[in-house]
Amino acid sequence: MAVKLFYEEKGLFLQNLHPLAAMVFLGTLLVLALAFTNPLYLAGILFVIVLTVWGADGLAVWENYLKIGLAMMLLVMMINPLVVHAGKTIIWHGPDIPFLGRPTISLEAIYYGIAMSVRLLDIISVFCLYNLIIHPDKALNLLSRLAQKSALVISLATRLFPAMARNIEHIKDVQRMRGVDFNRGTLKTKLRKYSSLFNILLLSSLEDALGIAESMQARAFGSGPRSCYSQNFWRPRDALCLAGSALALLAGVWGLTHGHGGYTFYPQLGYLIDGPGTVAVLLTVLLSLSIPVALNWGWRHCLFLKSKI
Amino acid sequence: MPFPVFLLLIIVLLLSGIKQNNLLAKQGWGLLSAEIMVAGLAFLYWGFEQGKTSSREIAFIAVLGALAAVGRIPFAMLPNVQPATFIIIVSGFVFGPRAGFMVGSTAALVSNFFLGQGPWTPWQMFAWGIAGASAGVLKIIFPNIGTAGMSVFHFIWGYLFGWIMNIWFWTAFIYPLNWQSFLATYAASFWFDTFHAVGNVAFYLIFGAGFVKILKRFRKKLEISILD
Repeated sequence: MAVKLFYEEKGLFLQNLHPLAAMVFLGTLLVLALAFTNPLYLAGILFVIVLTVWGADGLAVWENYLKIGLAMMLLVMMINPLVVHAGKTIIWHGPDIPFLGRPTISLEAIYYGIAMSVRLLDIISVFCLYNLIIHPDKALNLLSRLAQKSALVISLATRLFPAMARNIEHIKDVQRMRGVDFNRGTLKTKLRKYSSLFNILLLSSLEDALGIAESMQARAFGSGPRSCYSQNFWRPRDALCLAGSALALLAGVWGLTHGHGGYTFYPQLGYLIDGPGTVAVLLTVLLSLSIPVALNWGWRHCLFLKSKI
Repeated sequence: MPFPVFLLLIIVLLLSGIKQNNLLAKQGWGLLSAEIMVAGLAFLYWGFEQGKTSSREIAFIAVLGALAAVGRIPFAMLPNVQPATFIIIVSGFVFGPRAGFMVGSTAALVSNFFLGQGPWTPWQMFAWGIAGASAGVLKIIFPNIGTAGMSVFHFIWGYLFGWIMNIWFWTAFIYPLNWQSFLATYAASFWFDTFHAVGNVAFYLIFGAGFVKILKRFRKKLEISILD
């Protein structure tokens, strides 16, 4: 599972976006998914995200995220109707329970639970998209301008992570060569064996850390300006995606302050579509958020567009 | 100087939520709680950036963060029983609050690069970061705390971690936000948190003494300075 969820370089259009443009796009999706409550808006955003995931060849990865999200979605759908008594349309009266009274389940609460699980799916899918299109190094590169030391710690730890997972196996092998059988013995002896395994891992990792620190020092860490090896190019496609995100965000904020994008769940369900303004805002938001996936399609199928962006 | 600014920002965000769906572009609590969390994290990272940090400290923090992150993997079969919290608390206890915070938040972020980033990432970064930092503070207040005291501390953090994570779930997906829905959310996570707490204590009792001894030895090495 760990491998499936991790970023893979496939040379896709969406992976070639400037990290700033890609981050702003994902951030916009996230903020809008958390800001809107209208189920139609939440479902629309989900549609755009899934379309983009498909554009990034990530439907198989997305399935894994779906599995993680499913348990949480069920919880959302269960807790809401069980504890919320604000709905007016009661569809089930429970038996009388001492101290708690009669539990009631209302249509509104079920509806709210479903809408919120769509929101949960929105958010989880945004992160799936993040894993699909942004290389961790690029994100860290962006961060390193703001916070050098923190970015250094994170990128060092990211590098060390797979190395350390391998190290555990190596130490196990060495111990096995010396006659330590990890599968034999009582729980107490097994624990002692594992305890020494982890102590060796900690000791050798910290010893390695000293080596890393010395080589950082030798490479003049912290003295003089930072050097930078890789450069990200800002291309027309990035400007287009950024403009799309900005437009979607503006339309969303304008809509929310003018009564579109919100929704009344309690005490009785409101109208999904509250006049033409609701549709106009929804379409503006969805179309401007679709710019990356539209460009992705153009990049694959339209040579003229490919040469221009 | 920036401390009051961050505090003010968080208070403004908190207050803007009182009048429901009205202030600050009608955002709900789900968004507000995420913003407060990110502001808190930004402030804590800012503190790390401002402080003097040697290359050795950076390397130690990275190694311990990676170790805690790796600790999340081999035990992934058992719900919530993993040595990450234990490693973070012990690191904070030996190396101090600032290093403890960095180890905790790095562990959360880095492990999620491999286990999958999600909306839970900033909350885990915060919860584990505070776990590490609080262990550093514990050391300052009770320098001679014994095994029993540390076990209790590990046990408490099993629940605290889950409770911090629950805030996110509760504010973003449950409505209305009242005591009933709060208790229901927290009751739903009770067994997971209990597993976590018991696991923490078990890891501390089994590996704690050895880990603390090794970490203390390396803290001494930190104090050696390189002459230019």
